[in-house]
Amino acid sequence: MKGRMENFKYNISEILELPKDVVMDLPKIVVVGNIQVNISNHKGIVEYTQETLRVNSSIGLIKICGTNLELKTILSEEIIVKGNIEKIEIYS
Amino acid sequence: MGVMKIWYFFKGYVIIRVEGLTLERFLNLAATNDIYLWDISRESYTVLQMKATIEGFKALKGIVRRVGCRVEIIDKKGLPFLFYRLKARKMLGFGFILFLGIIFFLSSLIWNIEIVGNERVKTEEIIKILEKEEIKRGIIKYKIDKDYIKYLLLNEFDNLSFLSVDIKGTKLLIEMKEQDLPPERINRDVPCNIVATKKGVILKAIARNGRAVVRKGDVVKEGDILITGVILDEHSQKQILVHAEGEVLAKTIYSHRIDEPTIKTIKEETGRTYTRREFKIGDKGVQFFKGEIPFKDYIEEVEEVKPFNLDIDLPIKIFVHQYKEVEIKEIKQNIDFLKQASHIRAVEELNKQLPKDAQIQSKDVKYYLKDDILSTYVTLEVIEDIGKKQIIYGN
Repeated sequence: MKGRMENFKYNISEILELPKDVVMDLPKIVVVGNIQVNISNHKGIVEYTQETLRVNSSIGLIKICGTNLELKTILSEEIIVKGNIEKIEIYS
Repeated sequence: MGVMKIWYFFKGYVIIRVEGLTLERFLNLAATNDIYLWDISRESYTVLQMKATIEGFKALKGIVRRVGCRVEIIDKKGLPFLFYRLKARKMLGFGFILFLGIIFFLSSLIWNIEIVGNERVKTEEIIKILEKEEIKRGIIKYKIDKDYIKYLLLNEFDNLSFLSVDIKGTKLLIEMKEQDLPPERINRDVPCNIVATKKGVILKAIARNGRAVVRKGDVVKEGDILITGVILDEHSQKQILVHAEGEVLAKTIYSHRIDEPTIKTIKEETGRTYTRREFKIGDKGVQFFKGEIPFKDYIEEVEEVKPFNLDIDLPIKIFVHQYKEVEIKEIKQNIDFLKQASHIRAVEELNKQLPKDAQIQSKDVKYYLKDDILSTYVTLEVIEDIGKKQIIYGN
C-alpha cells in the first residue's frame, strides 16, 4: 500500500516536473566540493563528532565522514556541515 | 550568511560551551524550538562549543534543564556588549563626543575668504569692507548673510556686473565680474573740437559738423585742432560754438627697433641635478646643506612641497631647490635667419600698437650690423583716424 502511494507520487512529480524532495518528502543533500554539505529536510542529528555526523531522515540514516567537521548551522529543516568531507553513506 | 553575521554582530551574540552526554539531543531540541545556533564544533567527547544569540541563549535554559547538561559563556561579542563595556569607560566616550564637537565646530568656521574675478577692484579693499561688517576669518559660517554681502559689495562698487557669494566648506567664495568701462562720451550738445591724438600727415578731413582747419598734406602734431567747433556766423559775424564731428584720416608712422646680438650664449642642461631642501617657519628658513653646489653654472628651480595637494597657507613650508647644471655655449647665429626672426618680432610688436581700424600703407625694413649686434628697424606707414573730441572750455 505504501509502495503504491510512493509510486503515485513519483509519477506525478515526473509528469508535472515537481521537485521530488518536496513531493515525496525526501532529504536533499547538496555537496559543495569536499568542504561543505547541506542537508535539508532532515529528522534530527543522531551523532556528531569531529569525524562523523549521522543525521536521521525519511530514507534512513545519512552518515558523513571526514575530518574537522563543524556544524555551521542547525535549523529545523536544514543542516550545514563544514569541514574536510571524505565519505557520504546512506543506510536505507 | 555574511549578511547574517553582520546582523548578529549588531544584535550581539555569545559563544557558549555546552558540557553533557546527550549533546545531539540538545542540538535537535534547539533546532525544533527554533533556537538558532551556528558554528558548532566538537571540543571533546562531552563538550560542544557554539554561538547563540542573546535571546537564543535565554531560551536554551529550558532545554538545558531537560537534557541535563551544563552551559557556560566563554565570550560575549557584538555591539551591545561593546556599549556595555564602554559605559565603564566614560572618559573615552566623552573624548569621542568632544572630538566630534571640535570637528563640527572647526568646520563651521570660515577659514578662508577667496575673491575671484576682480581686476580693477582691489582685493584688499573688498576685504576691508567685509571686515567692517565683521566678516573675516574665524566667524561662524551660519551667521553669514549672503544676500547682505551681495548688497554691500554691489552698493560699494558700481562697476560690478555680476557677483556671487558662496560658502564652500570652510571657504567663503566671492566671485565677481567687472563691467568694461565704456569710453568717455561727450554729450551731443556740448561744444567740442576734434584734435589730433598723434602726429601725422593729413590725407582727408571730413567735417560733418564744425569746420575743418586742416587740409590734405598738412603736417599736424599731437593736440593740434583738426576740426574746430567754433564757427563764425556769416551774417552776424558772431562766434557760434558747435559740437564738432567728423573723420580725419592721416598717415602716421610707427617704428620699432630690435637689437639682437649675433653671438648668442645658450644654456644647455647637462642632465646632472642637485637638490637641496629648505624648511621654512614663517619667514625664517633653514636650508639643509650637503656641501656646496657642485656646478659652476646652474639654473635654480624652487618648488614648494604641499602636503596632500591641499591649497592651505600653512605656517610651515618645505621647499625643494633643484639645481640643474648647465653648460654655457656661444653660438654664432645665421644672420639671414636672425634678420627674418627679428623682422617678424618687430612686426608683431607693432601690430599690438596699431589701432583696430588702421590700414597699413607701406612697410620699410632696415638692418644695420655693428659690433656683433644686428639692429632691425621696421617702419610702418599707416592710415588711421587721428581725431579725438575735446570739449571747448571757457566762453
